[in-house]
Amino acid sequence: MLLDLSEEHREHLAFLPQVDSAVVAEFGRIAVEFLRRGSNPKIYEGAARKLNVSSDTVQHGVEGLTYLLTESSKLMISELDFQDSVFVLGFSEELNKLLLQLYLDNRKEIRTILSELAPDLPSYHSLEWRLDVQLASRSLRQQIKPAVTIKLHLNHNGGLNTSILQTDPATLLHLVQQLEQALEEMKTNHCRRVVRNIK
Amino acid sequence: MELSEYVQKGFQMLADPGSFDSNAFTLLLRAAFQSLLDAQADEAVLDHPDLKHIDPVVLKHCHTAAATYILEAGKHRADKSTLSTYLEDCKFDRERIELFCTEYQNNKNSLESLLGSIGRSLPHITDVSWRLEYQIKTNQLHKMYRPAYLVTLNVENDDSRTYPEISFSCNMEQLQDLVGKLKDASKSLERATQL
Repeated sequence: MLLDLSEEHREHLAFLPQVDSAVVAEFGRIAVEFLRRGSNPKIYEGAARKLNVSSDTVQHGVEGLTYLLTESSKLMISELDFQDSVFVLGFSEELNKLLLQLYLDNRKEIRTILSELAPDLPSYHSLEWRLDVQLASRSLRQQIKPAVTIKLHLNHNGGLNTSILQTDPATLLHLVQQLEQALEEMKTNHCRRVVRNIK
Repeated sequence: MELSEYVQKGFQMLADPGSFDSNAFTLLLRAAFQSLLDAQADEAVLDHPDLKHIDPVVLKHCHTAAATYILEAGKHRADKSTLSTYLEDCKFDRERIELFCTEYQNNKNSLESLLGSIGRSLPHITDVSWRLEYQIKTNQLHKMYRPAYLVTLNVENDDSRTYPEISFSCNMEQLQDLVGKLKDASKSLERATQL
């Protein structure tokens, strides 16, 4: 599958052959850093001064590169497809090689970052438990009521939510049994067939 | 067990065969237990024809006294001798003491169950449901091809009116971690019950 690069995109990327490979590599590094942490316009100004061009040009160059990398990573295109897509830009062999390397080196991390953009449900972080026995309450003395107190940590929207819950021994066994069945499900023929065939 | 004069007076009236004959005594006793333990019971519990001849104020007083005493006894897990002692002090004859203790014994489990269920507690997990999915793509990321679980814990709050649900997603390793920890807890529970 080839990448479809728009006119505007090609224009932005046209800046890249005008600088050395070291600069392109640096732009690549900046692009990934911006994906990790967010963009920082001051960097554009510094680079613009050093290269003696406008800061807009630098910005477009970096953004073009970023888009190239994210689209390629999103679609998980093959090496060959990447090379063919970039070929239409008419860059030098050396630059093409550099761009390919940039793609391959950073693809995994970029995909991880992109996966965080998906509709987000709270996800499991960890769980702590404690065994308690209730001995008495205001309304009844001399009890022996076992309970399991659970602290469930979930990740949501970047933060950690903690829920404190309780359950009784019978329900605990039921939970374990049900969730073990859930795990077993992945090992069934049906699931194995699906995983094998949808690639 | 601390019981008020009101309760004591009520029981003294109940002890008197002049105010309550055998039949009326049994009926009132049963009515007291019923009011406490039967969820559908209402004021009509005292509307029995064999109780009509008794002054309603006296009836109410004795009913309340009996119910109060039963709750206190239940709360403190009173045994037969404690019950007998108190009833003797209220001038109950042997027969009525026996009747009371038998009725109490018959209802003891329900009573303790009811008392034990009153009180505040943490949200309680009652059930779990799960869903296994195979993620193919999102609009931000294609070719994902990975399995994921969605787990929902059904939770009950102690006022039984709110039922918040806790849902979360996890991958296989995370679910294994979760199940592993829950298994540790249940093994620990097993060991504790064998001590």
